[in-house]
Amino acid sequence: MAKKIVKLIFPQRLIKEPLTFKMAKKFNVIPNIRRARVTDTIGELVLELDGEEKNVAMGIDYLVKAGVDVRPVEGDILD
Amino acid sequence: MGYVRGLKCRECERKYPAEPLYVCEYCFGPLEVDYDYEGIKNVLSRDVLTSRAENIWRYRELLPIDGNPIVGLQSGWTPLIRADNLAGELGVKELYVKDDSVCHPTLSFKDRVVSVAISKAAEFGFDTVACASTGNLANSVSAQAAKAKMKCFVFIPADLESGKIIAAIIYGPNVVAVEGNYDEVNRLCTEITNKHKWAFVNINIRPYYAEGSKTYIYEIIEQLGWKVPQHIVVPVAGGSLISKIRKGMVEFQKLGLIKNIDTKIYAAQGQGCAPVVTAIKQKSEIIKPVKPRTIAKSLAIGNPADGYYAYKTVTDSGGWADEATDDEIVEGIKLLARTEGIFTETAGGVTVAVAKKLIEQGVIPKDESIVICITGNGLKTQEALAGRIRQPVKIKPNIDSFEKIVHEK
Repeated sequence: MAKKIVKLIFPQRLIKEPLTFKMAKKFNVIPNIRRARVTDTIGELVLELDGEEKNVAMGIDYLVKAGVDVRPVEGDILD
Repeated sequence: MGYVRGLKCRECERKYPAEPLYVCEYCFGPLEVDYDYEGIKNVLSRDVLTSRAENIWRYRELLPIDGNPIVGLQSGWTPLIRADNLAGELGVKELYVKDDSVCHPTLSFKDRVVSVAISKAAEFGFDTVACASTGNLANSVSAQAAKAKMKCFVFIPADLESGKIIAAIIYGPNVVAVEGNYDEVNRLCTEITNKHKWAFVNINIRPYYAEGSKTYIYEIIEQLGWKVPQHIVVPVAGGSLISKIRKGMVEFQKLGLIKNIDTKIYAAQGQGCAPVVTAIKQKSEIIKPVKPRTIAKSLAIGNPADGYYAYKTVTDSGGWADEATDDEIVEGIKLLARTEGIFTETAGGVTVAVAKKLIEQGVIPKDESIVICITGNGLKTQEALAGRIRQPVKIKPNIDSFEKIVHEK
């Protein structure tokens, strides 16, 4: 099992889509929402994803392919 | 003895002990150092501060170490220059340049934060420090780890030109070239931090490291005769410096060292990597990450860790933001060199160019005090100027040839 912390940025066109739920169901990943900011044009969600390592990776890949920006919560550290 | 109370989450304000932690385990918000300001107020005064040695450690009660610093004993206290020539060009009355292009030992603002990070890492008992960097941070960590006799690892993307890190390699760190893109280097370094007991300066030591930034504004206030500037133009990469500038001013006010804070803070980024500027202009507190494309490599952070706090700092102060194109950055570097005799790196070109724009737009008024932040030395980014500056005039080795070009001038 693996736990991964990620920050998701949803563009406006995806805000109304239940992508986190779909990803969780499809890949058997448990998402735990820790923090969120949503405006009418953009959404930011900080999640902990819990599941089999390969499922977590596939779940993240699914979100990226759907158009969600998935980033580490630490931000860029290559300075 | 230090005055650190512990760490506090910047989002939910949950408290943590002063350990090598960097993220809140509840909301995953970043942690920040919290101090016993009442205790500090009893020992710090203007007289006490002015009697101390001119380096960052004159503010040691406001820095997160408990014992004596082991590096950075000559870092900081860089010149605040009254830039009358540049002021004349820009048509403003009172302009200053805070010049960290001459910060000891590696000629950038990073020497402040790394001095604090390495001193703190040693207090925590780490014997190895690390960073992921292609520029100023790598230079400073490598140099100061050498001085502190600590092991050092510097991570870079494998496709980076070796010339870029010669100034770091000379100090003898272990340079690890990762065969992957910037995002993959980022991810790997976070995994390494979780696995190895190393002090990764801008990951698990970040709350302490970032505190070193405050010394930049402390010095400006002291050098202005215990006054804040009315306007300050700050370069933004990860967003840490600009938010610590605000924190530093608020701390000085809390301690009674200054009365009012009426400073408007302006964010400056390069066009092609301006996620914070975009958020400020769009009035959106969510920072949308970008893929960096700018010659200002030291500001090329597409996903800034403190982007939201940078946004809040600027908007709360009543300031604004703007970005500079590559051409404007080069013109900014040239303008500062031509008017003030200071050669800054591309990040300094960004702040000069953005200050010029904001003054021309009437956003920054012409009759109030302005500080432009210069955070690095131009000798480090000479490649950005290739083909963009005047070439030497060639002559034959005789006096006639020389006289001819003199008369042409």
